[in-house]
Amino acid sequence: MENLTVLPPRGEAGSSRAGTVNAPDVPDLSRRHRIGERTIESGLFIAAAVSILTTIGIVAILLEEALRFFADERVTVVNFLTDTTWQPQANHFGILPLLNATLMITAIALLVAIPLGLASAVFLSEYASPRVRGLLKPALEMLAGVPTVVYGYFALTFVTAILRAVLGKDIVQIYNVASAGLVVGVLITPLIASLSEDALHAVPNSLREAAYGVGATRFETAVKVVLPAALSGVAAALVVAISRAFGETMVVAIAAGAGPKLTWNPFESAETMTGYMVRISGGDLSYESLDYKSIYAIGLVVFAVTLLLNIISQRIVARFREVYE
Amino acid sequence: MTTLAHDPSGGPFAIEAQALNIYYGSFRAVKDINLRFSTHKITALIGPSGCGKSTVLRAFNRMNDLIPISRTEGTVLFHGKNIYDADVDPVQVRRRVGMVFQKPNPFPKTIYENVAWGARINGFKGNKADMDALVEESLRDAAVWDDVKDKLFQSGLSLSGGQQQRLCIARAIATRPELILMDEPASALDPISTLRIEELIQDLKKNYTILIVTHNMQQAARASDYTAFFNMDTDRAGYLVEYGQTDQVFTSPKSEMTEQYITGRFG
Amino acid sequence: MSDRPLPTETPPEPAAEQGDRFAALYPSEEGIRAQVARRQRVATGWRVAFLAATSLAVVILSTLLLSIINQSFGLVAEQTDIPEAQLVADHYKSQVLGATNVLLATEDDADIAAGIAADANGIGLLGYAVYADNGAALQALSVDGVAPTAETVATGTYPLTRPLLLYSSAAILSDKPQVAAFLLYTLQHAEEVMSELGAFPADATALAEQAAALATTLGLDPAAPIDPAAYEGDIVISGSSTLNPVTREIARRFRGEGFQGAIKISSVGTVAGFEAFCAESADLVDASRPITTVETAACAANNLTPLSVQVGLDPVVVAVNSANTFAADVNGEQLAALFTTATNWSEVVAGWPADAIHRFLPTTDSGTMDVFVNTVFGGRTLADLPYDALVQIFKANVTAGRCRAIEAEQRFYADSFVCDTEEAFTARCQSDAAPTGCVLEPRDKGSLVALIQADVVNPVVQQAWFLAESLFRREEIMAEARQAYPTADVHFRRWLTLDFLTRPQSSQPELAGVRTAILGSLWVVAIGILVGFPVGVGAAIYLEEYADKRRRFNRFIQTNINNLAGVPSIIYGLLGLTVFVRVLEPITSGAVFGVGDATTANGRTILSAGLTLALLILPVIIISAQEAIKAVPSSLREASLGLGATKWQTIWNHVVPNAIGGIMTGVILAMSRIIGETAPLVVVGASTFITTDPTGPFSKFTTLPTQIFQWTSRPQQTFLLIAGAAIIVLLVLLFILNAFAIYLRNRYARRIG
Repeated sequence: MENLTVLPPRGEAGSSRAGTVNAPDVPDLSRRHRIGERTIESGLFIAAAVSILTTIGIVAILLEEALRFFADERVTVVNFLTDTTWQPQANHFGILPLLNATLMITAIALLVAIPLGLASAVFLSEYASPRVRGLLKPALEMLAGVPTVVYGYFALTFVTAILRAVLGKDIVQIYNVASAGLVVGVLITPLIASLSEDALHAVPNSLREAAYGVGATRFETAVKVVLPAALSGVAAALVVAISRAFGETMVVAIAAGAGPKLTWNPFESAETMTGYMVRISGGDLSYESLDYKSIYAIGLVVFAVTLLLNIISQRIVARFREVYE
Repeated sequence: MTTLAHDPSGGPFAIEAQALNIYYGSFRAVKDINLRFSTHKITALIGPSGCGKSTVLRAFNRMNDLIPISRTEGTVLFHGKNIYDADVDPVQVRRRVGMVFQKPNPFPKTIYENVAWGARINGFKGNKADMDALVEESLRDAAVWDDVKDKLFQSGLSLSGGQQQRLCIARAIATRPELILMDEPASALDPISTLRIEELIQDLKKNYTILIVTHNMQQAARASDYTAFFNMDTDRAGYLVEYGQTDQVFTSPKSEMTEQYITGRFG
Repeated sequence: MSDRPLPTETPPEPAAEQGDRFAALYPSEEGIRAQVARRQRVATGWRVAFLAATSLAVVILSTLLLSIINQSFGLVAEQTDIPEAQLVADHYKSQVLGATNVLLATEDDADIAAGIAADANGIGLLGYAVYADNGAALQALSVDGVAPTAETVATGTYPLTRPLLLYSSAAILSDKPQVAAFLLYTLQHAEEVMSELGAFPADATALAEQAAALATTLGLDPAAPIDPAAYEGDIVISGSSTLNPVTREIARRFRGEGFQGAIKISSVGTVAGFEAFCAESADLVDASRPITTVETAACAANNLTPLSVQVGLDPVVVAVNSANTFAADVNGEQLAALFTTATNWSEVVAGWPADAIHRFLPTTDSGTMDVFVNTVFGGRTLADLPYDALVQIFKANVTAGRCRAIEAEQRFYADSFVCDTEEAFTARCQSDAAPTGCVLEPRDKGSLVALIQADVVNPVVQQAWFLAESLFRREEIMAEARQAYPTADVHFRRWLTLDFLTRPQSSQPELAGVRTAILGSLWVVAIGILVGFPVGVGAAIYLEEYADKRRRFNRFIQTNINNLAGVPSIIYGLLGLTVFVRVLEPITSGAVFGVGDATTANGRTILSAGLTLALLILPVIIISAQEAIKAVPSSLREASLGLGATKWQTIWNHVVPNAIGGIMTGVILAMSRIIGETAPLVVVGASTFITTDPTGPFSKFTTLPTQIFQWTSRPQQTFLLIAGAAIIVLLVLLFILNAFAIYLRNRYARRIG
């Protein structure tokens, strides 16, 4: 608290008068130069600016390395966007197989998570007693905090085993898209449930009373009044969940398999964009190799998509706020 | 059969409470209420804060069910049937006993939809034109049509407070209830809006039985036919002190306590 | 909820004046009833659906946890080259036999008895039967205050007791009815015969139960006594000298009751007895200890599955000369000293004479020695042995080449060599780029124990079963495993043990632990928080207290932070890899500070990982700190400013202290977020295999989640099991952090309330 030393004496009337150099009966109200205060404010500003630097760093690095990737004569942007195989050894750099696997897993995940997550949110907010809600909500939040590597382990050792036992080992490969997708769905279910429940819970009780007052049932109140009122919050939660599923890494790295493959069969293995990035960066690669540069190009795609989704989500939330202020 | 200690009016009666006790957890909020309300009259429920008058009001369409810790004992007779019997569906009760709340609470839907929604879920069978007509008439009856006729498809939340409250009244009457419960409907409004609501209530009396909770003694004196005065007992439970024709309650109250209250000496 | 409508005594009357055409458009009374009933059915249906979906979500998530627990415990069939317990027991046996003044080491208890009887300073170990025969010349010491008597042996209070067993196999019993009959006869007469001989029969009920079970298996009437006259053929019995007199007496009676065949009994010791049995040259074994896995394996080679019955108990007597007046009772520690370290009696108990102890002992192979060592030194592990002994065990059990290689890696002793030679060492270490191992600092004991476990004991889990099946199908699994892995030890294994927490990484999953990973996680998280906390809270204070929200730039910072919170963590990995690992390599490798290891230094260090994670959690910390600061009522700020405090004084003395609960909650949540982060660390370059503990920010690292990821990526089942155990460690860690966060949140909420 060194800044205290630059303060003028103050407090008791006697001392404040003694400290002034001007005419004795006029108190000195002139502006002080509080160097400590200025320094602190600058320091805090720099702290806040670190986040800007982080963003700039991410964008700059992804762009620079991606440009280095596209600058290589073996790679063209057209090839990157349209080629249906990714085989760096054979000069095929088509992102489609990777993107396809990512999208399939995201879609499967949403098929699981949206019904489960939304239904849980409605149940917790509109049906559950305060005690049940007070018990389940923190439990959900805790599960949302379980590391993704744990979910990956669960996919590989449990879900895959069940799929193979039920559908047959000939149909379901050890590493497969379905298992990873289902577990990513399980992973984002608490997220959807928790965020949507927040939105539903924020709907004022007077609205529920209004609905009951005109003779609505609990279901009609929940689904036709409360849910629409919270729609933007719920939509924002869904967009965040999509972004999360899209960028999910460890589950797919563990359970979806290695090797990019363009397939529509969810029981085959197919590597996603994030899975590819983990596999390549986990090995010992030269910083000059094309493989190494390629993970930045793919990272750029992942970053752009998730950023877009996050911005959409925030826009929705901003609109949501306007409604209730 | 409990004798009705407070029975100022002649029948017919729209709804009747007998030996009503309402608890929040172990706390008794109101005790031993016996009251019945004449059809097509306005009855004001007055009393100091916390005396349970809103709780009593909400007992008439089972709105207290929504508070998990609440428990209701006693009988509320509606067409001779106790609405607290196990075989009664609260949804059925509420579609016949409408409610207007303290703070205007339109749905975050269009003005049109605010009025039409209640009708629709309650099985209104008319076609589009019928529905348009119902919406218009309800809004006219609620004296808000002129304010909103040009913006029926804007959000109900875009209206001013007084307009919102009248919209809520329109919403309530669109479902054709027999009774309308009003819980301090003007307390959140400015004086001009308040006046308009009061006039509206007078108009509605023709077709509906109205129970209104109010904090405002002038309002009760101006607008109601009957007045019921509640107070809080030493155990903090609310109870009915006096019930009679409004003129009589305000000019020659039978109870000392009523007199003190209406002359502003407590409360 | 009921869907019965209200009965109406009078028809509804409102809106009469309107003549209301709208009222007519509402359903009739009947219609209303039906309509509400239908709506209530829909509502109930959905209510059930919502409940079901919520329950399903809860069930799935619980399954996740249960399946992990299911994998981390269970039966295993574990094969070892030499069991650790045997290495330890052998060490102590050699200690006992190598002690001073061992005047005799023999198979024959009678010789031991005679030796002690003739020597006033004599002490020895022998079976009870022979001791009883020489009662006058010897006296038995009580152990921990318990003397060997019929009662203390039967109740198991006398510690030095071993079971007396008879071994055979199902095949022999069905091929040779006379052997089966003799075994059953033995069980029926053991109590009587052993009591007569002064030996200790097993509990009468236990004997009867075993006899009944055996008879049932053989298809005989359990109640009927055996008639020896009904059988013929030869019976060959071999084994322990302790059980020998009993078997002889029973054989005498068996013949006496009319048995026609020949009974051949040889007293060769338990070890030799099993050898004969497994070589198919004996039908029954007199055994003074259970069969070992090695012996079982030898039997399995001849398709023999041993089965056993217990006929009695045998106390090992610690006997001294009857002229010995001072020694009467000893405890475990004194027993250990008496037979190993002490030279004179006075070294065992002060006050005993300073005369030399004269020892009369059984040999290494005898059951007596086994019981003694297992009782007195039982429960000790390799880690309890002295360093020199461990070196000897290692040298004795690996090839000379392997021993040299290990010693070249790191020496056992600073000043001498075990397998390597001085010349080789000098030659190797005089070259310029001295390889590792030229350091004179010797290996520590922990690493030596780990070496022995890996190279000598070499446990290999042949197969593992999950917890659920281990509990419900235990017997079946045991049988399956014995069939499939006859030489393996089948036992229940908790993969999550204290050892697992304290051992470093290993290429053998059976010996691997998570110490390196836990320490790595702690280092990385500590750096992440130390950097992320001040920057994050600073940014939050700036945004809430200083930033003018109308200014575009400040709004941009806020939006930017919200966006960063949603960036997938692997992108941060790329950022860290480029900035911290590559660009800032001189700093993050420690090279500019001169602390990095010159040969291996690169930027893939704890510091790089910690900084990457700091950036990752920055948005989390900022957002939660902002919430906490927002919750501080502005009246408090006004009160402080009104007293003439500066802005920073207000923030530091009022705002921050009031928001600290919320800020700390956010920090802990951030901590629990990064403690489970995997992807960015894999990208930044967590090492796949390191066994040395991290020593500072410039060390290579691995963390708990990256370790789990690597184990999960291996094809062998056993790695998956230890990954499961590591996950439990991780989850417990997270659970503790979360519980702490909830505690803080509650305390904080109370204060504001």
